[in-house]
Amino acid sequence: MLEDWLVTTLARGLAFAAPLLIAALGELVAERSGVINLGVEGMMILGALFGFIAADMSGNSWLGVLAAAGVGALAALLHAFFAVTLRANQYVSGLALTMVGLGLSGLWGKPFAGKPLAHPLSKLDLPGLSALPVLGPGLFSGQSPLVYLGLVFAVLLWVYLYHTKGGVTLRSVGENPAAADALGVNVYLVRYLAVVFGGAMAGVAGAYLSLAYRPTWTEGMTAGMGWIALAIVIFAAWDPLRAVLAAWLFGAFYHLAFRWQAYLAPEFLKMMPYAFTVLFLVLSAWAKSVRMSAPEALGRPYVRGERE
Amino acid sequence: MRKVLLAVLLVLGSLALAEGKLKAGWIYVGPIGDYGWTHAHDVGRREAEKAFPWLETVYVESVPEGQVGSVIDQLVRQGVKVIFATSFGYMDGVLDAAKRYPDVIFAHATGFKRAPNVATYMADFYQVYYLNGLMAGALTKTGKVGYVGAFPIPEVKRHINAFTLGVRAANPKAKVLVRWIYEWYNPAAAKEATEALIADGADVFAFTEDSPTVVQVAAEHRLPSFAHYSPMLKFAPDYVVSGQLVHWGVIYKDFLAKVYAGLYTPKNLEDVDYWWLLPQKAVELGADYGVPVNPKFVPALKAKVLTHPVFGKINVYDLVMKLHGLMQDVELAFDPFEGPIKDRKGVLRVPAGLRLTKHQLETMEWAVEGVVGPWPNEPK
Repeated sequence: MLEDWLVTTLARGLAFAAPLLIAALGELVAERSGVINLGVEGMMILGALFGFIAADMSGNSWLGVLAAAGVGALAALLHAFFAVTLRANQYVSGLALTMVGLGLSGLWGKPFAGKPLAHPLSKLDLPGLSALPVLGPGLFSGQSPLVYLGLVFAVLLWVYLYHTKGGVTLRSVGENPAAADALGVNVYLVRYLAVVFGGAMAGVAGAYLSLAYRPTWTEGMTAGMGWIALAIVIFAAWDPLRAVLAAWLFGAFYHLAFRWQAYLAPEFLKMMPYAFTVLFLVLSAWAKSVRMSAPEALGRPYVRGERE
Repeated sequence: MRKVLLAVLLVLGSLALAEGKLKAGWIYVGPIGDYGWTHAHDVGRREAEKAFPWLETVYVESVPEGQVGSVIDQLVRQGVKVIFATSFGYMDGVLDAAKRYPDVIFAHATGFKRAPNVATYMADFYQVYYLNGLMAGALTKTGKVGYVGAFPIPEVKRHINAFTLGVRAANPKAKVLVRWIYEWYNPAAAKEATEALIADGADVFAFTEDSPTVVQVAAEHRLPSFAHYSPMLKFAPDYVVSGQLVHWGVIYKDFLAKVYAGLYTPKNLEDVDYWWLLPQKAVELGADYGVPVNPKFVPALKAKVLTHPVFGKINVYDLVMKLHGLMQDVELAFDPFEGPIKDRKGVLRVPAGLRLTKHQLETMEWAVEGVVGPWPNEPK
């Protein structure tokens, strides 16, 4: 019985966490460079739509994933232009992109509404690992390959951020762009690349929804997941490995909330994923004295020569 | 007879309003791409538009309940004379607007408050749900049927109750496990709720959510399900057994024809309340139009034989077809909510030999025996 619960919670938590994790990792990179992108939801849904269209027309879902990354990157390029070059208000620019993304995807998606996808991304059973007791069926079977992509990315990102020169550069641009600039770092380029990467990841997260999680296209199908991803970046204190934990916690509690409806009031259960994720992460950070604050320059446009 | 009446009205109508078109507007609570509730209303709108050359239609999608008033203002400014508000939550907004525009005709779907210029209309599924329940009860191997519900309001409760009565008629020990997602449209929530039900042992599914998600998730696990609102057979041709289909167009055509003919005016709608069911063809049993039962499941349904109080030894497929026939007759020789029916707390809700009134159906809060799970606002 307990094993049963453990297995389904692990598995469903992971499946639900995948798009949140992928989008959150992308946004994490952008925010580490000092640019906040509230357009994640819009980029996710554009990724979901164009990923679906590309997969539907070509018969190959991986092409869909690529197309989704491309669309997300394009939209993010726009945001980077507004935020970095024009030095506009980053919050407004991001929000505008979310609204435009939601609207355009609804409009352009009409011919595809309700169309079943002929070749969705197939599920994997990792050889060897899926035979493990409990962890096998819980983590290593029946998941989409994008789930593992997200996990691998998280580890790679962690290595990059804390153990490579590139990562140090990225972080310095987000903490003190003036100092980084003085040391010869091209702050604008780093920020552009970070934001575009974030957008591409958001697009891929959206593609997961329309090519693996569901798989169809329906208007508004991201249902606020982009916003949850943004929250996860904060819950995770801008750390990729904590982002994995945060995303999985959220997914696990989202699933458990439905199973526990048999025992607890459903209204209370709706807030459970949010409440428990925050609780766990705050407690764990407090216990380990993890630094919980945002990159210093987050949200503020950088102008060379301007005093704070 | 109905067709003759309609034809006469149309002739009268075209004589009466020879000068012009009638402009009608639809207010939708969701996107027409949802493939659920709003999509079905839009299909109805297009049917009406196609049928009547004098009709001009407009629509507004995804209007939150708080904004229905301003959307109505916009539509009236555009010259719309008949407004269909397609969500329960629009009720108070519509009634307020009706006072502001006494010359405009309003029709509120699923509502129960009317005015001289506000009619209400509903195409209800409870009969169809009973038939779906019979099939679900016959097909479940674990004895647990799963239901993903949107909001615990009387409409959804009524449907779950009718469904459960059907399930128990075919399988007296079966249970219907209910999970609520508190939204009309949320594919991710529907997916996780279905996965949770599967983890809890359910193996046949029905639902109230505006997308084919539950059907797809069940099919991924190779489990049968019932379509909701729109034809969903194509999403899982091997796993959709049947379902509830709606034809809002039938109501829209009737209402608009009567407006055009001058029978319905902004002064006499106080008692106009469409409660249309199988006999009026507002709803249909089926996984797809014209497919009441998926042929793949007919052998399994014929294999299950029951002893019915009226028909004696009969298999589930034949029983479904027989009751379907009876319920299509305006005389309604059979009704799922015919007593005696006790709720799951043991209280007698429908005495023997009686049926429920429309008002009782519309305000149902109790749960029948066999419903397992949270049931907010359950009477003591």
